[in-house]
Amino acid sequence: MFNFLQLFKREFLRMAERPVYWFVMVIAPLGVYAFFVLLMQSGLPNNLPVGLVDLDGTSTTRNIARNLDAFQRTHIVANYANMGEARRAMQRGDIYAFFFIPKNTTEKANRQEQATVSFYVNYSYLIAASLTYQDLRMMSELASGAAARKVLFAKGATEDQAMAYLQPVVMDTHPINNPWLNYNVYLSNTIVPGMLLLFVALLTAYSVGTEIKDGTAQEWMHLAKGSIKRALWAKLVPQFTIFWLMGAIYVLLFYAVLHFPCHCGIPVMLGAMTMLVLAGQGLGLLFFGITPSLRMSMSLTSLWSVLSFSMCGMTFPVMAMHPAVQGLAVLFPLRHYFLIYVNCALNGFPWQYAFWNFLALLLFAAAPLLLLPRIKYSVLNYTYVS
Amino acid sequence: MIRQYYASYWKESLRAFLFIFNREMRNVFRDEGVVMFLIIVPIFYPILYSLIYTTETIREVPVAVVDLSRTATSRDYLRRVDGTPDVQIVAYCANMEEAKEMVKRREAYGVVCVPREFADNINKGIQARVSLFCDMSGLLYYKAILVANTNVSLHLNAKVKVERAGNTTNEQDKVTIYPISYEEVNLYNPQGGMASFLLPAVLILILQQTLMLGVGMLAGTARENNRLHELIPVEKSHNGLLRIVFGKSAVYLLIYIAQSVIALGVIPRLFGFPQIGNPVTIAFFLVPFLLAITFFAMTLSALIRERENVMLICVFVSVPLLFVSGVSWPSAAIPQWLKVISWLFPSTFGINGFIHINSMGADLLEARHEWDALWVQAAVYFLTCCLTFRYKIIRARIITYNELKRERAMRKG
Repeated sequence: MFNFLQLFKREFLRMAERPVYWFVMVIAPLGVYAFFVLLMQSGLPNNLPVGLVDLDGTSTTRNIARNLDAFQRTHIVANYANMGEARRAMQRGDIYAFFFIPKNTTEKANRQEQATVSFYVNYSYLIAASLTYQDLRMMSELASGAAARKVLFAKGATEDQAMAYLQPVVMDTHPINNPWLNYNVYLSNTIVPGMLLLFVALLTAYSVGTEIKDGTAQEWMHLAKGSIKRALWAKLVPQFTIFWLMGAIYVLLFYAVLHFPCHCGIPVMLGAMTMLVLAGQGLGLLFFGITPSLRMSMSLTSLWSVLSFSMCGMTFPVMAMHPAVQGLAVLFPLRHYFLIYVNCALNGFPWQYAFWNFLALLLFAAAPLLLLPRIKYSVLNYTYVS
Repeated sequence: MIRQYYASYWKESLRAFLFIFNREMRNVFRDEGVVMFLIIVPIFYPILYSLIYTTETIREVPVAVVDLSRTATSRDYLRRVDGTPDVQIVAYCANMEEAKEMVKRREAYGVVCVPREFADNINKGIQARVSLFCDMSGLLYYKAILVANTNVSLHLNAKVKVERAGNTTNEQDKVTIYPISYEEVNLYNPQGGMASFLLPAVLILILQQTLMLGVGMLAGTARENNRLHELIPVEKSHNGLLRIVFGKSAVYLLIYIAQSVIALGVIPRLFGFPQIGNPVTIAFFLVPFLLAITFFAMTLSALIRERENVMLICVFVSVPLLFVSGVSWPSAAIPQWLKVISWLFPSTFGINGFIHINSMGADLLEARHEWDALWVQAAVYFLTCCLTFRYKIIRARIITYNELKRERAMRKG
């Protein structure tokens, strides 16, 4: 037991002495939490800049523009004289979309002819485009509906009758557990743990690799009485403690303070976070076992972790990916954490439905056990080549 | 005499430049870590990201249906929903509980519930409602289910309206459906795809980040390897500041000109992503971008003490950088102070400018703001790079001088 304490103390000292450990374990995670909380404070962006090209210029079309401006998500920032100008403004990035009202729109509507308005949305910026699109389409529907409603009211229809005539079928949409369509809920719940995973895995590979680089590997193994299991245990437990604390801060900050949807209770998410940290350590160690050089194992770990933001299927569903990469998704711990989060915290389903994902995270944590002899060999025999 | 002096000066400078250039080039290719980040990743990552996003959008999202109405109208509605490219009905469930169980097992990502009085209401002239329940784990599922149902319901609305209106001509029908009709035009990314949207930003970011990692590693190695743990060794060839800066940056620039052609030109072409920009304009735009990222990376590299630290510090920055560039999150919604911080990074302007030119067909005039900003960055980072290198050279000399003095004193004493 004494031996372990000595090793723990050695590890804690190593961490405390090097600024880079402080940076990766404390400063960077806290910075990331702060960044995402502050960046998406509003949840959904409001008042996105759009333009207007009104060639008709009557009181009716001005009314349409005013109504559009009153929508929550769009803000008309400029009135352009023609299509070309609006397009150039879009290419400059001044506006995300513009509404186009051709000449004689009012006249046609009054004559009971079909007039056509149009809107142009720049889908190079997909998120902003989707948000402005909703408002622009709604506005167009309303413009059309308003014209028809006027006629119906004139014929003596009641409000209910008019609505039933205008929209015989309506949608009742229930975005389950994120009724605000809050982007912060949608993104931060996976990106922030993904960043934490990146830090854990990288630092694990780094901390084992630097023992070789600094030439302290022999001393380290000697203290552990030549057992690689004991040596790694003593190295990873202190790191686990700190990363787990950072993970716990994340869980408490997001679910207890900011009240992100968490239908499974905080303890379950703390459990999931614990397994994510363990899986991260397993991943880092696994890569170190595969390529026992500090630089290659760190490179692979960082490349793998950066890919996991895409491969977890958060922004782009795995089922829509190219078949060649679909199957690879299971090899990314973040994918499993994402599914656990969706199942437990977001949807509040029993954890058993995510059983395989929990098991997968455990497998990641346990995977380096297979490579222990190789890790031991390389720790004892490799020298750092620069 | 003077001319001779200058001639020999230039000759000497050129020789030193070539010496440094050659040695740096050799350093790049001798180091597996640097080869990985400067050569392999900028080719391999774009291909991988293209593969991930190449389908652009999600099709046939599995949906469960609870049809309590069981009428010809409700079946017609559901058949049309099934017929859209966005959604596929995988099961007709007896009740909501059954449908929910399918969502729990991730066999369906949404539920469409048609209530019992659906057809009755339509026939009675009362508004009928269809309920949608969407799994919110991905916004694309939600979007697909919503779009499919909205389109079908609008179509059904039009049909019902025309039936009730009792018009005589097609033209009247048109006006009944839409007194003011509208057209929606998706510019620059017609299918609203992920690849066309995200990839240009990712590609630019890959160029910046890999260069930062590679140059940081080279600097770390240089400092670890030489006797004094200094970035720039004290040697005859390392006399002129500009020779060092130009010699090293020429290597990185040369490699990254090739890499940007592959990453921004060849790979998007292979996958058929939108490229409507004029290649010459893109080339012009990339000049300040490449200069800016090179000197930016070199300035930062002076801060790197150990080669592996660069990965610990630089890798995770990529994700926040993507967000502050205004692609993943509209720049209009980014807090001002974060925007100001983002101006420090060439990627912010590089990404937006590249999107404007490559995806939206802008010319340099429209991308003027970004292009100017990149030139400013290139100039500022060139200066900071020179200043840090100058500082390092002077420091290395002072340390060497002191050491020589101590050695001499030791020999005497």
